[in-house]
Amino acid sequence: MAYLTQPDYVKYVCSCGQLKPITSLYFCRHCLKIRCGFCICHEVDSHYCANCLENMPSSEARLKKNRCSSCFDCPSCFHTLSTRATLAQPRQPVADAAGGDTKVENKQPKKMYYLSCFNCRWTSRDVGIPDQPVASGGWPERTNPFTTRFNQLLDYYKAIAQQEKQEKLERERKKFAIRGKYLTLTDKTGLTGAMARNIAGLPSSESGSSATIANFTPSQASSEVEELPEDIFTKDVNLKLSTSMAQRLASPAWQPISVSRLHPLAKLLSVKRSQRCRACDHNLTKPEYNPGSIKFKIELLAYYHVPEVKIISFESAKPGAKSALLLKLTNPTGHEMRMQLLRPEDLPPDDKEEPKSLDKSLEKSLNLEKDTSLYQWMQRRPVLSGPCTVNAPSTELTLAQRDDAAEYDDDAHHDAGGIILWRKSNKLALRLEVETSESATPGTEANATLALQYSYRNTVPPAANAQPHRDHTLYTVVTLQLGLVAG
Amino acid sequence: MALYEGIALIQEKQAVVLDLGTDYTKFGFTGEAAPRCIIRSEFWCTSERRYKRVHDYHTAEELYDNLVHMLHLLYFRHVLVNPKERKVVVVESLLTPTLFRETLAKVLFTHYEVSGVMWADSPRLCAITLGTPIALIVSIGAREAEVCAVVHASVVLHAIQSQPIAARAIHDELSRLLDEDNNTELHLPDHIIEDIKVKACFVGPRERALQWLEDKGPTPAKSVQYPLSGRAPITVSGRSRELAAEPLFTRDNELASLPDIVLQCIIQCPIDARRALAENILVTGGTASMLGLKARLAHELRYLVTQPPYSDRLYVREFKFHKSACHDNVCAWTGGALAAAADGGARALPRDVFTRSRRLRDWPCLLDNAPPHPRPRPANL
Ligand SMILES: [Zn+2]
Ligand SMILES: [Zn+2]
Ligand SMILES: [Zn+2]
Ligand SMILES: [Zn+2]
Repeated sequence: MAYLTQPDYVKYVCSCGQLKPITSLYFCRHCLKIRCGFCICHEVDSHYCANCLENMPSSEARLKKNRCSSCFDCPSCFHTLSTRATLAQPRQPVADAAGGDTKVENKQPKKMYYLSCFNCRWTSRDVGIPDQPVASGGWPERTNPFTTRFNQLLDYYKAIAQQEKQEKLERERKKFAIRGKYLTLTDKTGLTGAMARNIAGLPSSESGSSATIANFTPSQASSEVEELPEDIFTKDVNLKLSTSMAQRLASPAWQPISVSRLHPLAKLLSVKRSQRCRACDHNLTKPEYNPGSIKFKIELLAYYHVPEVKIISFESAKPGAKSALLLKLTNPTGHEMRMQLLRPEDLPPDDKEEPKSLDKSLEKSLNLEKDTSLYQWMQRRPVLSGPCTVNAPSTELTLAQRDDAAEYDDDAHHDAGGIILWRKSNKLALRLEVETSESATPGTEANATLALQYSYRNTVPPAANAQPHRDHTLYTVVTLQLGLVAG
Repeated sequence: MALYEGIALIQEKQAVVLDLGTDYTKFGFTGEAAPRCIIRSEFWCTSERRYKRVHDYHTAEELYDNLVHMLHLLYFRHVLVNPKERKVVVVESLLTPTLFRETLAKVLFTHYEVSGVMWADSPRLCAITLGTPIALIVSIGAREAEVCAVVHASVVLHAIQSQPIAARAIHDELSRLLDEDNNTELHLPDHIIEDIKVKACFVGPRERALQWLEDKGPTPAKSVQYPLSGRAPITVSGRSRELAAEPLFTRDNELASLPDIVLQCIIQCPIDARRALAENILVTGGTASMLGLKARLAHELRYLVTQPPYSDRLYVREFKFHKSACHDNVCAWTGGALAAAADGGARALPRDVFTRSRRLRDWPCLLDNAPPHPRPRPANL
């Protein structure tokens, strides 16, 4: 919960340089690197309606313009509309039925449906949409008033493009023809026919496109312009009758100016996304297909693989003084983890890059598209400077594997002395010392950076020819927000 | 159906058209008459916990991040397709900053791995929606009004006019007038000002604008009370309703009003195109749909052209206006949807070309606007 409601006091440095809380990070088990939403590749997995939780195959979603056919949003306040039923007498004005207590005579009353918004009370009757005999679907669809003209233009430009292509082809053939007559005679693409037509001055065989071009009428300008309505200086303005920008733009094809032209908005579908590591193209997350399920088939979250650092408490930092900092470390993996705290400047230079770039170059030779140097634009240099430094102890810490049963074990083991405050299954608390620099200005943010070295056991089955290299030493850098520098 | 699907698989994915405006972003598919969405050009920034506008940036990196977030929103919340291996048509102004273009190219090609980008300038795209060989495009957007002459599918570059007289100028004037109406400094947020503008404001005719300049103005239109949540309603006087868009037409020594820049654009064009330009004006952009704006512009043009300095330099007396084939605010977008659908995106800059050259063609760049050298001589055979 703390991750949802509170500011992110602890941030991890992603391999791309972004600072993110551990809950929004991923861990690629193939590259053994932290990834984040910024540096991974998102893909649309499946379409569904968030209201009726109905799945829609992608091809169908494309045909329906990504809109659900049975759910609607209110065009006035964008809340979901509800379908309401009334009893209507056949051959009687609908308005009577809406009154409620219509007397049922001999005629059989018929169930009729309309759409209504429970939030702002807008109904489909407000704008004169007739009630429907079926509960879902069948609502009248409006056509875009500009579609006809748009299609004329589209046909015209397609014809022009077609003609251009044709001319280019013809030119190319002519060039070819000059060089030697033999080729044209043996040419099998009907060139002789085209040439004959050309010599005879006939239009090329594709006369369809030229007809479209000839029949097209360009837009006609007129000296008349839409003048102001006559009554604008005398009529009262009713703000409630004209739509807001949001209401207009919610239906880009119609953009109604008056509220009487509002129309229910078919609900936009949502997508489930799967996410992929850019470096190795493996999936980091893959959701289950069922829209009602919030589970994942693949879920490589950093929260399950990278040691979690939490601040228990800290003394406020004073310039030139030392203060205490209590941290909690958690090992989320199913294997014992050895861990050591480092100062960020003691991190080994990125030697991990070396073997990687080797197989990268191999990959590059296979696939020119995957030019990783392009990803330099994605790289950020994180701001890691802060007035505080954490004095990292040189001792190696060992964290037991995660054990769900031990969660119910209450008593923590208190270690007397040393930096370990207590230990409990896969967690331990540390007492650390923070040094604040002399020059820190009171009132500025007291940030500190800490590096972690931890052992990680890879559970991915190794490829057939690769060596079974399962235990790795990995590094990660976290930034800690320790309030403000005290005066 | 099965056959249709088979064809769809072979065919290239339908390209998307992106118009990243200052205030509103238009996004949708080529070959469709309207964009799928028109949303504000802003996104929820989780690290700063506020809505952030795409065009608010100080560094190239910040712009890169803004664009990544905005495109994520557009692709995965609104249009719901994979950006990967799909072409994009980018609708841009000819005066788009180079940094913006290049950063957008990096984001599209590397972050979203699109297969190609077609860079298209908005004046020509607007002209495409008309189908006429010559058009004068007056585009009034959020920040700037741009006037461009399109003659046989080329923009007359030296005649481009641009002035900061658009929606922003109207908003500033309206909030100043509202302060006068209510005798306090209201400090209304921009979306309220915009709402008042779209619901109540209009552009009065020329004669009335002149009367307003005298001591005793004309009879104002009806005033209206605009309700505010958590505050007393404010008065929007008839004067404010009518005069909010006046900054677009106010002339000063700079001759920088909207009708002035239209006439200047025509004057700077080749003499044989001037009459045709004046008779093929298209007023477009979101602000163009303001009530009475086109009529006022027409009247101002017809009057100003008889006045110095235009009367003895410009011999056109007739101005004709086109009705666009779409809503005013999506004109350039619609042009993009048409252009790319017609030739199947053949003019797009492919990803592999960009990854090799890492540069974009741009009209102010000598590499792109100078004739190829040495000139190929006609072959004498
Ligand atoms: Zn990252
Ligand atoms: Zn639904
Ligand atoms: Zn509603
Ligand atoms: Zn990976």
